[in-house]
Amino acid sequence: MTQELRAKAERLRQEVRDFYATVMPADLRDKAHRHQVLSKEDYVGWMRLLDKQGWSVAHWPEALGGKGWSPLERFAFEDELARLGCPWVIPFGVKYVGPVIYAFGTDAQKQRFLPGIKTTEEFWAQGYSEPGAGSDLAGLRTMALKDGDHYVVNGQKVWTTYAQWADWLFCLVRTDRDDKPQTGISFLLIDMKSPGVTVKPIRTMDGFEHVNEVWLEDVKVPAENLIGEEGKGWTYAKFLLKNERTAGAIVGWAWHVLDRLKKHARETQVNGVALIDQPLMRNRIGEYELRFMALELAAYQAVTAMVDGTENGSEASLIKLRGTELYQEVMETLVEALGAAGVAVDIATLHSAGLPPLGPDDTGGILKDHFYNRAATIFGGSSEIQRNIVAKVVLGL
Amino acid sequence: MTTDLETIGMLRDSAARYADDNYSFHQRWAVLETPEGYSRKAWSDFAEFGFLALRLPEDDGGLDGDAVAVGAIMEIVGARLLMEPLLASSILGTGLLLKLGSDAQKFALLPQLADGSLVLALADEDDAAKPCVFADGRLSGRKLGVLQGDIAGKLLVSAQDAATGEAVVMLVDAAGAGVSRRTHKLVDGRGAAIFDFDGAVAEPLQPESGTRADAALADIRDEAAVALCAESLGIVRSLVHITTEYLKVRKQFGRVIGSNQALQHRMVDCLLLQEEIRALTAAAQQALAGPAAERTRIVSGARAYVVHAARKVCNEAVQMHGGLGVTDELDVSHYFRRLMVNAALFGNRDAHFGRFVDAALAA
Repeated sequence: MTQELRAKAERLRQEVRDFYATVMPADLRDKAHRHQVLSKEDYVGWMRLLDKQGWSVAHWPEALGGKGWSPLERFAFEDELARLGCPWVIPFGVKYVGPVIYAFGTDAQKQRFLPGIKTTEEFWAQGYSEPGAGSDLAGLRTMALKDGDHYVVNGQKVWTTYAQWADWLFCLVRTDRDDKPQTGISFLLIDMKSPGVTVKPIRTMDGFEHVNEVWLEDVKVPAENLIGEEGKGWTYAKFLLKNERTAGAIVGWAWHVLDRLKKHARETQVNGVALIDQPLMRNRIGEYELRFMALELAAYQAVTAMVDGTENGSEASLIKLRGTELYQEVMETLVEALGAAGVAVDIATLHSAGLPPLGPDDTGGILKDHFYNRAATIFGGSSEIQRNIVAKVVLGL
Repeated sequence: MTTDLETIGMLRDSAARYADDNYSFHQRWAVLETPEGYSRKAWSDFAEFGFLALRLPEDDGGLDGDAVAVGAIMEIVGARLLMEPLLASSILGTGLLLKLGSDAQKFALLPQLADGSLVLALADEDDAAKPCVFADGRLSGRKLGVLQGDIAGKLLVSAQDAATGEAVVMLVDAAGAGVSRRTHKLVDGRGAAIFDFDGAVAEPLQPESGTRADAALADIRDEAAVALCAESLGIVRSLVHITTEYLKVRKQFGRVIGSNQALQHRMVDCLLLQEEIRALTAAAQQALAGPAAERTRIVSGARAYVVHAARKVCNEAVQMHGGLGVTDELDVSHYFRRLMVNAALFGNRDAHFGRFVDAALAA
């Protein structure tokens, strides 16, 4: 990896910090700072703000409106945003389906969909998991049968994040009843306004509704909404999963909560001694610091290998496994350290900017994040699946 | 001082090739059975290849090797469990002499270090009850766990100068008057010694550059920590490789044990630890040349993490090899014992972790 590339990534980090300080609207920054609940409008506004900066699809090729970012720049961008505590960059359009469309779609599909993805004019959701097909995605049963110039889709998707806001669903469906599990799968784009689509939110333990069941009953989908060839959906899905797993944000999130924990431990006195100077807490925070250092350096090593083309196949899994483990543990410690305020259900202040939260200002919504991210070791390829992959691909077991 | 990548690549390749041809696990048995616990033949071969002059300036016929170059050799030392005093003498003893020796001292000793005729061990760990003190030209006190002190011709001994209260480093003849040496083996087969100095004749290292002994000692202790990280990396890479291959051939209940998901996942965790050790070792090598506070944080953090991670991997390697894993006959138990020694020398995990935490939380 060249010095020039490193310098470019460092400059990008500085640009992101400047953007956070001067461009980001104060109310959005405040909501993010307090880990408050964000509405669809907040997210769409956020994604459009990123687009205005030229960042929403900067990892796309230049010919399609991107900047052709290297994996290092992409990592630096996601990592820096997360360290600052910025809102989530909703990945379904810009990160997941966008690249599938430009890599495998027709010209007409590219013209129809890519502009709306770049600007979040259209909001996308991912129709992958089913009740009987979670980690074992190849077990999916949603059927799309060809009938003239359209498909008729029947089935059920689940854990579909923000389907309640979505205009479009990219969906893995089975187009052949008789094929082997992986060969009969196709990749279909479904308009959420189509008759027969029903969205049913699932309430999670934080009390909110982020994920949904999506029922598809005799939904008519034009044949031109098929991506690539029938039966090749598994190939496209694997291409997408590879993009999904390059997540640099997890390192930044881990940094962010560790920073919150240290700040809280410095500012909180117990029997006249700062929490951070109490031997047991100091030892715990020290362990997290050390594990964070290992994560950060290993992530950098992994991204360097991606840039240099010397990956061994374990890189993305390593970042995800170590990052999510550490993130969850640090967050658990932070919630514990907050005492009663950590477990207080403070719904009102999660939605309203005016009310003072029950605990420290910058940890108000940490409980909500703690709940949400308990799923971080489950979604996007569970920790068990990550280990299966590395065992097979890298160790040959 | 940055050693170019080509030189480092050559070092690594020639050391690895030498080990392949002359230092197999079976050839190593003969070395373990010698009273001195190392191969004189290998030692003179290393001298010929220039490994012993790794740290010497180019003007003195050396490679002027930096931490990355040292790491390249140490990784092979770990991977093949070399027994020769490369770390004790060629890296630490020579390294400290280069920092603190006068021109005359260096002129006298460097050629003997480069050709292997002198083993110069670093004696740094005081017996707390008998700290080493230098007074009126004489050295008194006790040093513990001097790695390869059993075969050393000379020693570099850290001490306190009674007159100034400051740290000094003394050059002492290991067999000189007033020096008594009690040699012993370490669990990995290498030798060590406890030294009692009772008014021993000792010559302080006094560099013309005016470099302070406490600063040079701090440097060399950090260099020891980083070199041990690289050695651990070599050990862990060997263990991950050996154990993965074993999982593919060992059958129980009619199938290879590597087909069990429980073992697959544990093996993946070993691989992740290996990758972290690799990243931390590289960062620690870079940090040696960097600013002091950052150096302490990264070097001691790496050392604390690596010691622990390497032993976790090794414990898994033993466990997955079953009963064989604890036999003397299998290399796994030899890696286990080398890691035990590494964990005990040059500052243990707690000492380094404590330094790391103070540095990391100082901001």
